[in-house]
Amino acid sequence: MRDVYVAGIGITTFTRLEFPLSEIAAYASMMALKDAGVTEVDQLYVANMGAARVNHQTALASAVADSLSLLPAGAAAIENGPASGAAAIKAGFQAVASGMDDVVLVTGVERMREVNNLEATDFVATLTHPLTEYIYGVTLPAHAAMFARLYMEKYGVTERHLAMVGVKNQNAALNNEWAHLQQEITIEGILDSPEAMTNNPFVAEPLRFFDACPVSDGGAALILVSKEKAQELGGPMIRISGVGQATDTHAVFEREEPTDLLAVRKAAKDAFDMAGLTPDDVDVAELHDAFTILEIAESEEVGFFPKGEGHIALEKGETALGGRIPINVGGGLKGRGHPVGATGVAQAWEIVTQLRGDGGKRQVDGAKVGFTCNFGGFGNNVVCLTFVRED
Amino acid sequence: MAREIYAYKCRLCGTMHYPFRMVCKECKANDFFEFDPVPLPKSGTLLTHTTVYNLPAQYEVATLGLGVVELENGMRMLGQLNIEQPKIGMAVTGTVEVVRKETYDDFYGMVFTAA
Ligand SMILES: [Zn+2]
Repeated sequence: MRDVYVAGIGITTFTRLEFPLSEIAAYASMMALKDAGVTEVDQLYVANMGAARVNHQTALASAVADSLSLLPAGAAAIENGPASGAAAIKAGFQAVASGMDDVVLVTGVERMREVNNLEATDFVATLTHPLTEYIYGVTLPAHAAMFARLYMEKYGVTERHLAMVGVKNQNAALNNEWAHLQQEITIEGILDSPEAMTNNPFVAEPLRFFDACPVSDGGAALILVSKEKAQELGGPMIRISGVGQATDTHAVFEREEPTDLLAVRKAAKDAFDMAGLTPDDVDVAELHDAFTILEIAESEEVGFFPKGEGHIALEKGETALGGRIPINVGGGLKGRGHPVGATGVAQAWEIVTQLRGDGGKRQVDGAKVGFTCNFGGFGNNVVCLTFVRED
Repeated sequence: MAREIYAYKCRLCGTMHYPFRMVCKECKANDFFEFDPVPLPKSGTLLTHTTVYNLPAQYEVATLGLGVVELENGMRMLGQLNIEQPKIGMAVTGTVEVVRKETYDDFYGMVFTAA
């Protein structure tokens, strides 16, 4: 297997974007192509979940290839729920590692604000089990809420811990010009003040408005290349050193221990094993905080903290910028936004930015090893990646 | 006749499945559709729950109660809750009712109340 490097990165602002879906994808892609200094690719993969349903467009990768004048490169779209982005990175990785391709563009994109919030929530809910979950009106916030309630009961996680994740990540987004939310929040404002319950109503008990990521449009892109090509291009040598992916039961209630996220555990372990790393080696991490409880649970399942102790590490500031293992310093999904197909690629974008030392006010000093966890379904399809800067 | 929700019992090893799957999760040896449908029990205890406020457009109610119930045979299922103040561990009992209405279809599922 050949080594695979990230030679270019691009991103759009995550917000409500009044551009066609393929143009959002092409914008982020063009930025990555220019960043790498390439005008041709062998292959492109476009990660997206909702084009057909939300934007009434199919065969998105063909449209993006033509818009970027990348013809006659191979092109395919990858739909893997909220883990589409990292699944597309894995496909690009495999294409380069196998020796089949030397330069691959991986773009993640979503335009969810074309429909209203309830339609967007229903569209994401279509990933649930059709006959045993979806028909009941289950949404992703509902899944996260039922999971959070069990976590609170079993491990002593409180509403305050959840709010702490929300405050940490939304305020981290203030240091990220591409992030969706640019409004500072406080525990006082969303939990303790007389207005808090009006500002921060329940979405699905016990989860509140500020426990959930916003609905966003946006795109992000990477250029993956072989070692030879990376050296020729002359940029910083940032290698994808580990790739892990795992699945779990489609119906969430079937899981033997309902507070476990076994696909997260397995995907992370496989990525670390492949890279020859341990969780302790990680300098900066991007976890999939679509809901605040998920950052806590994933921080345990990937191995940063023992099971049931993620909220304690959070309390001590270990997951904040300057802490032992800074998580979601660019805002995470909570602050940056969660255009579902783009998220896995945006996580990689943040890690590469950090390993290049380009994080500005949110830079983790001396970061050399990065980690991403892209969580699809409600934990039924998870992709983890490790990144290493080689000097 | 009362409607039922079915689990699927592998004819080779007896393992029960809900939801249905093509290949038995235990023996992985069954041929096509080698399962017998078995009605799920209607009583159990509430494992976790939520009240959802932001509902998909088809629901003409302000909030919806949802929960996971551990049934008396040890299997679990998700259902709607018609319970004023749900509590983890409480005894519940279900009936099969319309849980989602779409233009041309009614979908039936389990609705639980306090036992
Ligand atoms: Zn069997």
